[in-house]
Amino acid sequence: MNTTIIEKDGKYIVTLEGELDTAHALEFEEAMKPLHDVTGKEIIIECTELEYIASSGLRILLGLLKNAKAKGNKVVLKNLNDEIKDVFKMTGFIDLFVIE
Amino acid sequence: MKKTQKIRWTALGAKTSVAILVTAALLMLALSAVQSYYARKEIRANLERNTELDLFIKAQKIKYSLEAVENALQNHIDDIERSLPYPDSLFSVTRRIVEQNPDFDGCCIAMIPDYYPEKGRLFQPCSYRDGKTINTYLYDVEKYDYTQIAYFNFAVDNDTAYWSEPYRDPDDSSVILVTYNFPVHDPSGRVVALLGVDLDAAWLGDVLNAHGLFPSSYNLLLSGKGRLICGPNPAEVKHQDVKDMVAMINDSTLNRYLSHTGKSTILAFVDKEDGEKGHVSYNSPKMIAPWQIATVNYDEEVFAPLIQTRRRNIVLTLMGLLILAFIIHRSAQSIYKLRDANAEKQRIDSELMIAKNIQMNMLPETYPPFPDRNDLDIYGSLVPAKMVGGDLYDFFIRDEKLYFCIGDVSGKSVPAALVMAVTHSLFLSISSHESHPARIMQGINESLCRGNESNMFVTFFIGVLDLPTGLLRYCNAGHNPPLTIIGELVEPLPAKANLPMGVIAEFDYMMQQTRVEPETMIVLYTDGLTEAKNMDRKQFGLEKTLKILEKCHDATATQLIQTLTKKVDAFVGEAEPSDDLTLLAIRYTPKEESWTLSRSITLDNDVAQVTELNQFVQSVTEELQLDKALSRRIKLAVEEVVVNIMNYAYVADVKGQVKVEAMANDERLRFILTDSGRSFDPTAVSRADTTLTVEDRPIGGLGILLVRNLMDSINYERIDGQNILRIEKKF
Repeated sequence: MNTTIIEKDGKYIVTLEGELDTAHALEFEEAMKPLHDVTGKEIIIECTELEYIASSGLRILLGLLKNAKAKGNKVVLKNLNDEIKDVFKMTGFIDLFVIE
Repeated sequence: MKKTQKIRWTALGAKTSVAILVTAALLMLALSAVQSYYARKEIRANLERNTELDLFIKAQKIKYSLEAVENALQNHIDDIERSLPYPDSLFSVTRRIVEQNPDFDGCCIAMIPDYYPEKGRLFQPCSYRDGKTINTYLYDVEKYDYTQIAYFNFAVDNDTAYWSEPYRDPDDSSVILVTYNFPVHDPSGRVVALLGVDLDAAWLGDVLNAHGLFPSSYNLLLSGKGRLICGPNPAEVKHQDVKDMVAMINDSTLNRYLSHTGKSTILAFVDKEDGEKGHVSYNSPKMIAPWQIATVNYDEEVFAPLIQTRRRNIVLTLMGLLILAFIIHRSAQSIYKLRDANAEKQRIDSELMIAKNIQMNMLPETYPPFPDRNDLDIYGSLVPAKMVGGDLYDFFIRDEKLYFCIGDVSGKSVPAALVMAVTHSLFLSISSHESHPARIMQGINESLCRGNESNMFVTFFIGVLDLPTGLLRYCNAGHNPPLTIIGELVEPLPAKANLPMGVIAEFDYMMQQTRVEPETMIVLYTDGLTEAKNMDRKQFGLEKTLKILEKCHDATATQLIQTLTKKVDAFVGEAEPSDDLTLLAIRYTPKEESWTLSRSITLDNDVAQVTELNQFVQSVTEELQLDKALSRRIKLAVEEVVVNIMNYAYVADVKGQVKVEAMANDERLRFILTDSGRSFDPTAVSRADTTLTVEDRPIGGLGILLVRNLMDSINYERIDGQNILRIEKKF
């Protein structure tokens, strides 16, 4: 599980790789913490390489989204694979996030 | 809508009422006309008889009066005959006659011509009353030759007394006189003179009119030539002039001569002045012939009783019609009420029919209810005694547990049905997240007790059968304990009665549990079975039920219920069904599975161990050669349930373990997770609401939602201090 965050043209691009299971959730949460402090930015989460996500990972994404809404940030999820998209559908997250 | 209908009824009703009233009025009118016709006829006949009698009596009276005159004169005749030789003494004789008879106006003795040659050819001494004095004188025969009068010669020639035609008093034209002429004989018996006595006819009139048939009636006396001799006092004649009456009688006298019957002639007349109708009857009885006597009666008085009766009839008829109108009105009202009530009843019936359908649709409808399962055989039936009833039963499977219930609401029909519907809906809503039967019972009970002012109560039985293990948890609220059939052994489930629901909100319901052996049949029933009554009011009873069930050990649930129903029907026969009959039979038939794969791993309650778990799951799916997508789904589901157990089954920092077993065959893949932590049932967690917004969406509750979506079934049981969770995926 790899998480990289780069800032480019005033946007934050988060690239997720590997499997986001419960064992890696804490690590992911830590990695995302810097994004809690930004305001008025677009946060793009690039998921092409994300193979798997458990509910613990979803909870972290939901936390990020709630914070972003409060801070005026915009969160966009990009290139979810079909299984993850299914998970988003099952949980209703598909309606909460902007997914491209 | 209703109002216009009512108005229409009323208008129609008024029309009918008026028609009936008019018919009744016409009938009464016709009746009264017929009655009137016959009454009039009767009165006429009576009048004829009465007038006949009246005329007879009056004639008699006249005759007596005249005879009295004649008798009075008889004495004077002797006096005259004695005085014949002394013509001048005749003056005093006439004077004496007038003096002695106050009714006489005057009298004279007319001698035959040349009887006293010395006195001239004619001699007629007279005495006449003039007021209180009496004048006696010699009648002036130069002026008035009495021999020229027809009756003089007639009386003399025939030696007979004779009454003259009436004539007006030459001195007073208002007085009508009649003269009685009586022959006087000389000693040789020759008629030598006529004694003439003048009488005021008014005197006869008084005799004649002393009494009338009716107040306005009067009588007339006419001479043979039809001249009026006497009549009523003119002041007492109310209507037609007496002269007209005399004229009318004279005009029709011919009729009397023609009839020859001797009976009175009756003539109808109409008063010229006031249009009053009347009848005059006249006759000439022998005793006063040729005089005629008449009686005049006015219809107004003759038919007075009839008119009175008719008036009374009209008043009575009006009253009768009023009463009839009232009765019609009242009966019309009650007819409409009845009609309205009928319409209302039809409406209620059709509504009840709809309610019945709604109620029946609440119950399980399709059998077998779980065609994909081979571990259950279920059949139920409910036959309401009335259109709708207070019995209910239901069952469903949630998380590999069979929830079933049966209940009976106190009372019958609509109130019971309402409570039944509420109870049913509470049962469904509470058991959708609660698997503990006593807690379900408590939840329903609390709601039912709230505002239960009609004191309805419900006997209820709830069972929750864990299908993988056969563990039956149940709670009874005053209902008949279900019967279990194992082989030929039929016995009631040992169920504590507790208290029916709806009585005490705080009641603490006790749960009981038992392990159901494979092939056990559970039979639930309401008292409609044991208390079904036949024509002799005898009950079907539990004993009979047990005997029937003993022979049903090989029967399917359907066969068993049908057999029981048939037996009850045969027993009840023609008797009115006394209560709803509800039956539910459940046979538990678990199948032993054989597995081609069986692995297990034991983990510490540390989420870091998820990596090992995922490797374990991956190895299982790889061995089963599942595709990548399905593998990931299964991996996610197992991770979610395990993480759940790690997070919630153990108190923080308490070390514990989670055992994960995987088993599979061609049909399914099953994971069983066992831990020794505190009792934790993830299936009882309310489902996360996926429709909330970001702000409202709680962080958590997602795991179990995912598991339910990813797997085909989830099942939890706590057995022997361990949490056992099963999740299963069918291929």
